[in-house]
Amino acid sequence: MKKIQATILKGTRDFLPQEMMRRNVVIEIIRKTFEKFGYSPIETPIICPAETILGKYGEEGDRLTYSFKDRGGRLIALPYDLTVPFARFVAANYQDLPFPFKRYQIQRVWRAEKPQRGRLREFYQCDIDIIGSKSLICEAEIVKMIAIVFEKLEIPNIMIKVNSRRLMNAILRFYGVNQSEITSIIRIIDKITKIGEEAVVSELQKMGINNAQKIIETLTPDDTNKNTLKKLERYDISELEEFLSYCADLEIPEKNLQIDPTLARGLDYYTGLTFEVVSEDADFGSICAGGRYDNLCGLFSDKDFSGVGVAFGFERIMLLLEKLKLFRSNNAPSQALVTIFDENSIKDALQTYSKLIEAGIAAEIYFESKKLSKQFKFADKKQIPFVLIRGPEEREKGEITIKRMQSGKQKTISLNQLVSYLSNYYETQ
Amino acid sequence: MKRNNIRIAVQKQGRLKIPSLEYLESLGLQFPKENGRTLVVPCKNAGVEILYVRHSDMPEYVQSGAADFAIVGENVLYENNFKVKEVKKFDFGKCNLVIAVPVVSPIQTTQALEGERIATSYPNSLRKFLQKQKINAVIIEIKGSVEVAPALGLADAICDLTQTGNTLKENGLKPIETLFNSTAVFIESSFESIQKSGSKIKFLTPPL
Repeated sequence: MKKIQATILKGTRDFLPQEMMRRNVVIEIIRKTFEKFGYSPIETPIICPAETILGKYGEEGDRLTYSFKDRGGRLIALPYDLTVPFARFVAANYQDLPFPFKRYQIQRVWRAEKPQRGRLREFYQCDIDIIGSKSLICEAEIVKMIAIVFEKLEIPNIMIKVNSRRLMNAILRFYGVNQSEITSIIRIIDKITKIGEEAVVSELQKMGINNAQKIIETLTPDDTNKNTLKKLERYDISELEEFLSYCADLEIPEKNLQIDPTLARGLDYYTGLTFEVVSEDADFGSICAGGRYDNLCGLFSDKDFSGVGVAFGFERIMLLLEKLKLFRSNNAPSQALVTIFDENSIKDALQTYSKLIEAGIAAEIYFESKKLSKQFKFADKKQIPFVLIRGPEEREKGEITIKRMQSGKQKTISLNQLVSYLSNYYETQ
Repeated sequence: MKRNNIRIAVQKQGRLKIPSLEYLESLGLQFPKENGRTLVVPCKNAGVEILYVRHSDMPEYVQSGAADFAIVGENVLYENNFKVKEVKKFDFGKCNLVIAVPVVSPIQTTQALEGERIATSYPNSLRKFLQKQKINAVIIEIKGSVEVAPALGLADAICDLTQTGNTLKENGLKPIETLFNSTAVFIESSFESIQKSGSKIKFLTPPL
């Protein structure tokens, strides 16, 4: 019989156990941090009525949204991000939610774009949002959480860039930019880290902006946040000042926080502060981004919900962790393999196995009484750190031999101390 | 909590108690020598209270501001990873945190501790040491009489405080590594519980 080719779609991936365990470790750190700040988990459907997704991200977004007709002829779309599904979720469920509502959501999203490094067609996003409060304490809390997430992931040298949409608009208006041009000009300024200052100036000049050089000079951040704000003091900087004072009270290190007036963020729905997190060690763009949006739910509801949130780019964080070699070497799902010495040892091995599981130690048993060397090989391949051996001699003395796979060193101790040995084993990193 | 008096914590029981009280007396403080069951003893001649607490509880007292000062062994600060302002180092309470093994043990070097069981009441200090030396080992935490653990088959080595080394010798043990030299220190809480911090300074300045 002709076999079907075991292929997967372009831009999607299989994850083997080693990688999946690493991903789980990172997801867990992120999830735990979200929960530490009191965010509640939610989930939204993968298949959605197309009208709840399309038309929310501009032309490009629509082009990149996966959509298809289902069997009933309805147009279905897959989520492009988690923000728009969340806006719909709030509009549909607001009566049951405590406000201000803080949620986190870790789910797959889909984009039909050309796959590239750190950007697949199917990938995870980790979002947090606070909805229903206009206080700048929300923004400061989110920045604090960003700092903690990267601290827990042990990623050094991150910079959380912050800007104010309101301030940016005020500066552009001061230099005589028309309201109607602001969006397209912000899009050009947004490219400054990608294409450089000169290229941005010349693009702006092409658009007929005479003060392009002056605008960029004004927007370029100074050496400290204090000096940046001082430079901009003729504009209304009260929003950033209030935000910075909350950040200081939350003890967010200044070296990780930069007011960057050139920061624009492509999306149009931001109305207040915007955020972007970059790493000195990453050769790609931001690893986390977001901002304040005043009327995201407006598409779905008459209610006015102001919200602020960020999305962590999970796949990029994984790439960065890989690059910084921050993964521990041992990634075995279990700590110990109980071997079966011979046919007569099955009962004894099963009892030892049960004892370990009951004590909460991750363990597994070899299913057959094959040669010990074969059982060791299995442990080696699975990177299980300890192998437990109990032959007639050990049984007679009430002992068990523990073989450490990495060093090959063996140690025989009382069987009664096995659980204590394994649970108190201190593994240096 | 605002208070008007200064609280100094000293060891309730143990080798630091007597020298600590003697030091406080040398500052001119007058208080009854025997505290009996009372844990808070006011001084007769100053707005100072002496607090008798368990040695290992001192960091908690100082951290929370329940005590303004304490006389404590550095080993306790190290074990609790407690960073605090050290006002004075004393000459008393000298001891070492060591790893010791039975005299006849096959373990004769630090590296040979790999995979072995070490009994201790100072798990954090031991962990720091193992981490630095990159040795993987089993830490058996017990609260007291650590020195008998090897003879009972509970552990292969111990990590414990020693002053003269006599206890080790009596139990057939010998040290193979010193982790830490400790002495008693006078520490000050960073917590501002006293209304007039000026008096705190005045109280301490002349004798120190």
